[in-house]
Amino acid sequence: MNQETHRINESFINEERAAAYYLQTVPGMKIRDIRALKNHFGSFVTALSASEKDYPDLISADLIKELKDRLKTGSPFEAYADLLRSDIHYCMEDDPAYPLPLMNIASPPFSLFYKGSLPDPDIPCVAVIGARNCSGYGRQMAREFSRELGLAGIQLISGLAAGVDSIAGSSSITVGGRSFAVLGSGIDICYPSSSKALYDSTPANGGLISEYLPTTPAVGHHFPARNRIISGLADAVLVVEARKKSGTLITVNMALEQGKDVYAIPGRINESLSYGCNMLIRDGAVPALSPFEFVNELLHKIKKCPASFKSSLKDGDINRNNNCDDMFLSSDERIVMSALDCNPRSISEIFLDLPEDSGISLPGLMTLLTNMVMHHKIKCLDSSNYYLE
Amino acid sequence: MYASVISGGLSGIRSFLTRVEVDISRGLPSFEMVGRLSSEVREARERVKVAMLNCGITIPPSKITVNISPASLHKTGTAYDLPIAIGILSAIGEIPASVLSDIVIIGELGLNGEVRRVSGVLPIISAAKKQGLKQCIVPASNASEAAYVDGIDIIPVSDLDEAVKSLQNSDYLSSLVFSHLSVEDTIKEQRYSLDFSDIAGQEACKRAALIAAAGFHHMLITGPPGSGKTMIAKRMSTIMPPLTPEECLDISTIYSVTGLLNEETPLITKRPFLNPHHTTTRQALAGGGANSRPGLISLAHKGILFMDEFPEFSRECIETLREPLEDKTIQISRMQNTYEYPADIMLIAAANPCPCGYYPDRNLCNCSDSMIARYRSKISGPMKDRIDIIVRAEKTDIDKLSSKKSGPTSLELRSMVMNARFMQEERYKNSDISYNSEISVAMIDEYLPLGVPEKEYMKDIYRNMNLTARSYHKILKVARTIADIENSHYIKIPHLAEAVCYRG
Repeated sequence: MNQETHRINESFINEERAAAYYLQTVPGMKIRDIRALKNHFGSFVTALSASEKDYPDLISADLIKELKDRLKTGSPFEAYADLLRSDIHYCMEDDPAYPLPLMNIASPPFSLFYKGSLPDPDIPCVAVIGARNCSGYGRQMAREFSRELGLAGIQLISGLAAGVDSIAGSSSITVGGRSFAVLGSGIDICYPSSSKALYDSTPANGGLISEYLPTTPAVGHHFPARNRIISGLADAVLVVEARKKSGTLITVNMALEQGKDVYAIPGRINESLSYGCNMLIRDGAVPALSPFEFVNELLHKIKKCPASFKSSLKDGDINRNNNCDDMFLSSDERIVMSALDCNPRSISEIFLDLPEDSGISLPGLMTLLTNMVMHHKIKCLDSSNYYLE
Repeated sequence: MYASVISGGLSGIRSFLTRVEVDISRGLPSFEMVGRLSSEVREARERVKVAMLNCGITIPPSKITVNISPASLHKTGTAYDLPIAIGILSAIGEIPASVLSDIVIIGELGLNGEVRRVSGVLPIISAAKKQGLKQCIVPASNASEAAYVDGIDIIPVSDLDEAVKSLQNSDYLSSLVFSHLSVEDTIKEQRYSLDFSDIAGQEACKRAALIAAAGFHHMLITGPPGSGKTMIAKRMSTIMPPLTPEECLDISTIYSVTGLLNEETPLITKRPFLNPHHTTTRQALAGGGANSRPGLISLAHKGILFMDEFPEFSRECIETLREPLEDKTIQISRMQNTYEYPADIMLIAAANPCPCGYYPDRNLCNCSDSMIARYRSKISGPMKDRIDIIVRAEKTDIDKLSSKKSGPTSLELRSMVMNARFMQEERYKNSDISYNSEISVAMIDEYLPLGVPEKEYMKDIYRNMNLTARSYHKILKVARTIADIENSHYIKIPHLAEAVCYRG
């Protein structure tokens, strides 16, 4: 179409968006009311300017009065202009910008607010989800898999939650990947506050997405709801860590209902945080055994072309600190390392686990531990618990 | 006619000598008492009258006036009963005034004439001795307590008759003199039923306990329920050095004033170990109240205050600790007076790492990060700053309970503590501090010098582990104690490395 038509269409869409947004802000106006208005009038703008008698019966008289009273106090397009000034984009059903994948899920969101952009439907998108209180292993896996996805040019989508979600997002951004986060609150609210840095950097490297009106606080029941958008926008879901009963598994169910492929990272069977993942694999999820294999398999299954594919790792090689630094460990340090694992252990525990003939005294052990932490060979938690990354 | 008897009073835990003046003159019969007296002192009137009657002493009806001077200081307690009775008897001529000039008299009277025990005898007799008085009459059940004060004759009496007789007859008085007791001898017979070797495993905690005891550092033990935090705390007293005679008398004075000494325990010979429940009130902890009673903190003077479930204590209780931890005394204000009680305690706090207790074991702990942060914030930053050692206790596996590694006994640990204490005594003999934990920031250069490799090491640590100035200072202090335990004149790198593990 020529430029003129395009421009007319542009301004038409914007007016429609403004009207739809305005209707959403009217207290008492439910989504079904707005849909009814659209059906009746054919356009949101017309729905605003109609005279009272033209409204369908579904809409209560009180609601109509509320709407008309509000319209008297100012232009309906002011609010939308404010939105745009805050760099917040808006799209609703039937909007060309509205993501197609979401149209097919059960109860699709009526509208989306976003900062930055929405995921590109022509590029693969993977949801990386997992426990908030993840273990060191979960952290490491979230980081490595997300990096690999980012390097491969695959889009990543998750929540902003602490733990797996935020680690995935920041890891992807660090390697220059595209990362998207769906919020359980209004787009202008950063919840949890610990994810502030990610909240600030995501719009420029992908986008923040929310179906809630700005200033809506993060409330418990918003989170399962927003998870349907995460899985809805993704081509596949990767579960990093999950307990036997967890919110993550609820998201997996939604993904299955939406017909998405589910991958899970297996873990040790005595780790409660890996139980959910192992269970999913037992029940048919695809085990993700290395970031490289995972990305490879994804690209074969999802028939889309990623922007690039450059991997930092050789096949089957996961970056493990103790492998790389093996040559830099003294024999005593090696002994101490062998008494550590990814679960934080206290000094007393480690001491008891040292072999009889190690010759390491308790003060000697503490010296070794301090030095190893200082040289980043091991990590410590609250300076009394030590673990491997 | 006029008589005057020397007695003693208490203000907080300080004692002062008082003069009980009795005047008997003609006039309408009355019995007036003046001198800013509290109600139990005023009640002496009834007790004295009846006691004298029951001892067969009759006073002709007269106008009796009793003044306890200095009249501006508040008088409390029941110790004035006996001196008032003696004063009355002296005023009517039964007891010569010369006998009363050099003797301090205290005691409560029963209605039957018995002389009963009072609290605060130790400080009062000490004050009397300092003033140069030669003799004192005390209730018989207070005799052992008073006997620890050297340089003054102790005359115990069990009833009014005996008291009067001893003042009328100097030979009789001499026959009653109670032999002195030696504080050192009493302290020597120390026996403990608990021992550090009772505890299996927990090597890091035992080591931390050793360091805490050696340098008098405050300590926090964190760990899951049932990990033995209380066991360790209770055994801390067994590795502390024995009390010096001065410390013994100091502590006993506090207990005497609080009324906690008795015939079986005339002296406190063991370091106090106090374990208040976390529902304790601020007042019980700090002291105060109607009679300015010393609180639990003062009762733990020179000993250990063990606060189990530390985050469960009320905020005000925790804040109340700040002053004693900093100044080693606690101030209690009451009406016109401010009392300063000693509070040189070693704090041992025990806490769970999170509300459920199992953090950081992800298999057992389901607390959210915000729950954990909130629980931890109950111990405020400034409070944590004053705790030099934070160590983790572990729940011991059943097979580790019979581990081959046996730990040191309390005796072995105590001798190491004494050794370290000796080094500290030498080091601080020209300053006004006694322990490594008391080193202030200004004293670091003087008492905690580091060699060049050690300085470099600390720079590395500071950078890589995100230390603050406070934690840096703490690490140096603890390292100094570790060096003392290892008999090292200089602080070396292994000492610093170990100290880092306790910074919390």
